[in-house]
Amino acid sequence: MAANNTPAGINKEQAFGMAETEMEYRVELFNRLTQTCFNKCVDKRYKESELNMGENTCIDRCVSKYWQVNGIIGQMLNAGGQPPM
Amino acid sequence: MAASNSENDSKNEIPSSSEAEQPQFQAIRMPTMEEIRAQEVWNNCAVRSVVSGVMVVVIFAGGGLGFFMGMFLGALDNPIMQDEMTGRQQFVYNVKQMGRRSLSSAKAFAVMGLVFSAVECVVEKARAKHDTTNTVVAGCVTGGTMSARGGPKAACAGCAGFAAFSVLIEKFFDRHT
Repeated sequence: MAANNTPAGINKEQAFGMAETEMEYRVELFNRLTQTCFNKCVDKRYKESELNMGENTCIDRCVSKYWQVNGIIGQMLNAGGQPPM
Repeated sequence: MAASNSENDSKNEIPSSSEAEQPQFQAIRMPTMEEIRAQEVWNNCAVRSVVSGVMVVVIFAGGGLGFFMGMFLGALDNPIMQDEMTGRQQFVYNVKQMGRRSLSSAKAFAVMGLVFSAVECVVEKARAKHDTTNTVVAGCVTGGTMSARGGPKAACAGCAGFAAFSVLIEKFFDRHT
């Protein structure tokens, strides 16, 4: 992470704090992603243990869209001071 | 207590009943690139349809199905020319007829299997859903192409018939798993 290389002002404690926050964010993102795409794509009446092809395709598309939207919103939150509404 | 126990179980853990649990949690292993690529091979529509066609031929020929079908169908309309050939020559001729007929029906079955599998794969990938609609559409296209020679009416009849047949087979297999 870039934060570790900046001189003066960022000490070890703050770096750890930021790493922890980042880790929590990532874990939360992963959990939400799997939950959303699982609920959307997988039929709850399980007939077999393997993912069939329709579910596989659905999960591919779901994850791709989720990631893209996540990136876009992250950029918007980073860039703008005021919400564009 | 029971709720937190079940929450703490990772997917590789079988919850032990009353004795003290030794929490040997194994980390969730992400699939490696080789595993992903190996699985992706089976997801390819072309590979799947070719394998289905080959499987149909293997089951047909290897299971003796082709032999029996050829025998029965060949025995039905073989001209028995008794004044021209002796018994042995007639036997050889009949066997050759059987072989030819079973080969042609094996080819027909293989094409049917290939087309059905390919269409079902493509439709399922496009819809991203696992449904019976995929089977119906695939059956309709297969039946239609197989009997397209008889004109549009025969194609429609073939479509409906084969779609119904494949739905029945699918339901039969689903019930028994």
